[in-house]
Amino acid sequence: MAKVYKVSYVVLGGKHPGGITNTESEPKPGDQVTLDKNRYSVVEVISLVPPRGEFHYLHVTLKPVEA
Amino acid sequence: MDPIAVLKSVELFEGLSEDELDSVLRICHQRTFKAGDLITEQGHPGDELFVIQDGFVEVLRKDSTTDSTPKTVVNLGRGQIVGEMALVDRGRRSATVRAISDETIVQVIQRDDFDRLCDSNHHLGYTVMRNIAADLSFKLRHSHFSHR
Repeated sequence: MAKVYKVSYVVLGGKHPGGITNTESEPKPGDQVTLDKNRYSVVEVISLVPPRGEFHYLHVTLKPVEA
Repeated sequence: MDPIAVLKSVELFEGLSEDELDSVLRICHQRTFKAGDLITEQGHPGDELFVIQDGFVEVLRKDSTTDSTPKTVVNLGRGQIVGEMALVDRGRRSATVRAISDETIVQVIQRDDFDRLCDSNHHLGYTVMRNIAADLSFKLRHSHFSHR
C-alpha cells in the first residue's frame, strides 16, 4: 500500500476553521493546497507523531494565496 | 475503487488483516450526501459511526443552549471518522456534522454491528479501539494548534 499522509491543516489569520484529511502526497513548504474551493500556500510542515504502518501524521500551517 | 483498498486507506482500520477488513466491509453501508445535508445533529442520540470516503464535512458546535449560531470547529475530509464518541460512550452527539461538498460519500457502521464484530474478534476490536483513541488524540493535537 502507498503511504497515506493524515494532515492537520491550520490556516493563519483565524478566518478558516482548518481541517483534517488524508492525502497521497507529502505536503512541502511552498506547495499550494485547496480547502473549501480556496487556495492556500503551505508555510510549515511538522511531523506530529511517529508513523504507524503506512500512515504518516503531519501538521501543516497554511496562509491564503493572494488573488 | 476496490472497497478493500478504500478501507486500507482509512487509519481506523490500520493493522487489520485482509479477512478482518472483509468482515468490516460486510457491516459497512454506503451513503451519499449533498452539500448542506445533515449527517449528525448536536444533542441528538446516535448509534452510527461515519467514515468519510470522499468529499468534506464541517463539524459545528454550539457552546451553550442559548448559543443560536453554531461555530465551525473543523472540516474533515477523506479517510476521517465522525460519530466515534457516541459509538464509544453512548452519549448524545457532541457536534453537528454537515456535508460541505456535493457527492460526500461515507461508509456507515451501526453500533450493534460494530460491537458484535469487536466481541467476536478481539484482535479486531482492540485494533479498531486503539485506532479510535489515536484518532481522538490527533483531533486534540489539531485543536491545540488551532488555538495557538
